Amino acid sequence: MIQTTELSKRYGQDILAVDGLSMNVERGEVYGFVGPNGSGKTTTLRMLLGLVRPTSGSCEVLGARPGKPETLSRVGALVESPSFYPYLSGRDNLRVLARHAGVPYSHIEPALAEVELTKRAGDRFKTYSLGMKQRLGMAAALLKDPELLILDEPTNGLDPAGMAEMRHLIRNLGKGNRTVLLSSHLMGELEQICDRVGVVKDGRIITEGTLEGLRRGERIKLRAQPVDQTRQVLESLAGVGRIELTDANVFLVEADTSRTAEINRELVAAGVEVSELCTVRLSLESVFLSLTEEEEQV
Amino acid sequence: MNSLAAELLLLRKRVAFWVLLGFWTGMSVLFSYILPYYAYTNNLKFHGRVVGPAALFLLLPQNLVSVITTAFPFFGGTMVLILGALFMGSEFNWGTLTPVFTQRASRMRVFMSKMAAIGIALVPFVLAVFVLGYVASALIAWREGQAQALPPMWDVVKALGAGWFLMAAWASFGVLLAVLSRGTAMAIGLGIIYGLVIEGLISSFGQQIDLLASASKGLLRTNGYSLITGLGATITGGEGPGGFAGDTVSVLQASIVLGVYVVLFTGIAAIIIKRRDVAGMS
Repeated sequence: MIQTTELSKRYGQDILAVDGLSMNVERGEVYGFVGPNGSGKTTTLRMLLGLVRPTSGSCEVLGARPGKPETLSRVGALVESPSFYPYLSGRDNLRVLARHAGVPYSHIEPALAEVELTKRAGDRFKTYSLGMKQRLGMAAALLKDPELLILDEPTNGLDPAGMAEMRHLIRNLGKGNRTVLLSSHLMGELEQICDRVGVVKDGRIITEGTLEGLRRGERIKLRAQPVDQTRQVLESLAGVGRIELTDANVFLVEADTSRTAEINRELVAAGVEVSELCTVRLSLESVFLSLTEEEEQV
Repeated sequence: MNSLAAELLLLRKRVAFWVLLGFWTGMSVLFSYILPYYAYTNNLKFHGRVVGPAALFLLLPQNLVSVITTAFPFFGGTMVLILGALFMGSEFNWGTLTPVFTQRASRMRVFMSKMAAIGIALVPFVLAVFVLGYVASALIAWREGQAQALPPMWDVVKALGAGWFLMAAWASFGVLLAVLSRGTAMAIGLGIIYGLVIEGLISSFGQQIDLLASASKGLLRTNGYSLITGLGATITGGEGPGGFAGDTVSVLQASIVLGVYVVLFTGIAAIIIKRRDVAGMS
C-alpha cells in the first residue's frame, strides 16, 4: 500500500529532516507512525502525498508515484493542523474540496455526520474551536471515501472525550479493507488503535513491528532501596538484561519473570529493603522511550 | 471545470472581493464624473485649470469611453493587483494549499483554475465601472439638458476589452508577487510601491535620461496608457500619483507588451507553484 525505500529529505545544507527512511504499510492495517516532535513524521507524510519532493530515495503509494491525481483520488489526508478558508463555513469548505476532488456534494453531509459536525457546519470556520477544526479536517479526509487514510496527529486539540471518539472513529475506519497510516507522538493513542507501528527518530525508522513484538514481553517492577546497592545486586545476577530506574527507587528489570522469587531472595540476602515486586506489561510509551534512549546511547 | 467552480465559490463568498469592486467603481465615478462636475458647476480649478464648457462635453455619455478608461491603467491596475495578491497569497497565509493539493486536481489545474477565476472576476470590475460611469454621465447630461447619445458600440466593446486586458496584466503581477513572497502583505506592499513609485520615477526620469526613456516604454503604466489613448482616451497630465506624461507607444505594441506580461507573470508563478514544496503555513 505504502512503500518507501531509503527516503530522504534535506532542507538546505544543515537540516536533514528525513534520513533514509524505509517502511512498508500493508493493505487493511492501521499503521502507527510514532516519534517525538521534529523526528520527520510530517515531512514523510508530505512526501507520501506529493507535497514535498524527496531529496533521494523512493516511495510508492497505492502502487504509484505520490501526488498523481489518480493516486490522490484514492487517498484521504489530514496533515498537521487543519487548514481551511476562515471566511467560509465548514460546509462550504468541504464544497471547495469536493470540487477539487471531483466528488459529488452528496458526500459532504455523511462526512459531516461521521465527525458529528452537522449542527455547526453552517458556521464560519474561523469561529470553530480547535477540536471542531480537527473534526472538519477529518471530514475532509473522508470526503472521497478513500482506500488509504493518512492522518497526522488527528487528536490534536481534542478534549479527552473527543480523543476517545476520534480513536473510536479511526478504529472503525480501519476495519475492512481500508488502510490507515496514523502519525502521533502520543504512544498511548497508537497503542489503542494500531496493528503495527514504526518508531521514527531523527528521520529514520529505528524499529517496526507489531505491538506485541515491540513490547518484548514483560518486565519485573521492583521498588527497593538503597538504589545503588540494588543496582549492584541486579547487575551481578546472570540473565538479567536492561535495568531502568524509572522513579526515585523503582526499577524495571528485563529478566525472565519466573525468576522473581530468586531475585527477591538475592536482594534481601544482600541487605536490600524490597517494598514492591511484581511483573508488568510494558506500555508502548515505555518501549518507545526505552528505544529512543538506546538510540541515543548508541 | 470542477476546480474553476471551487475557485469561483471562493471569490464569490469573499468579502474582500466585493469591497475592492465597490471601492474601485465608487472611486472611479467620483474622480471621473462627480468631482469634475462639481468643479464645473462651481467654476473651480480642476487639474490646475478652471473648467469650462469643454469639460462638460467630456462628462457626457458620448465620451464615456475616453473618460472612464483613464482610470484603468493606474487606479484600476492597483486595485486588481491587490485582488490577485489577496486571492493567491491567502492560500499561503492560511495553509490551504495542503488540503487543496491533496484532493485530486493537479497543481497546474488548481493554479490555472485560480487564474481563470480571476479573469472571470475582472469582468464585473470592467462592466460595473462602465455601467456606473454611464449612469453618472447620463444624469449629468439630463441635468444640463444635453444629448444622451452613446459612443459607438464598437468603441465601447474595444474599451471593455482593453480594460480587461490591462487589469489582467496587473492582477497576474499581483499573483506572481504573492507566489514569490508566499503571502499577501509583502506582495501588496511591493506591488503598490512598484506601481505608485517605481514606475512613476522611471517615467519621470525618462524625460531627462534617454536610457530610462527606452525602459519606460516597457512599463505596465506606459503600455496601459498607450492602449487607452489609442482608444481615444484623454490623459490629463503627469500630476498625481498615477499621472502619466511620457511618450506613448502604438496600440499594437502596447497590446503585445501587456500580453507578454500576462504570459510571463502567469508562467513564472505556475512554474514555481508546480515545483516548490508545500510545507505548511508560511
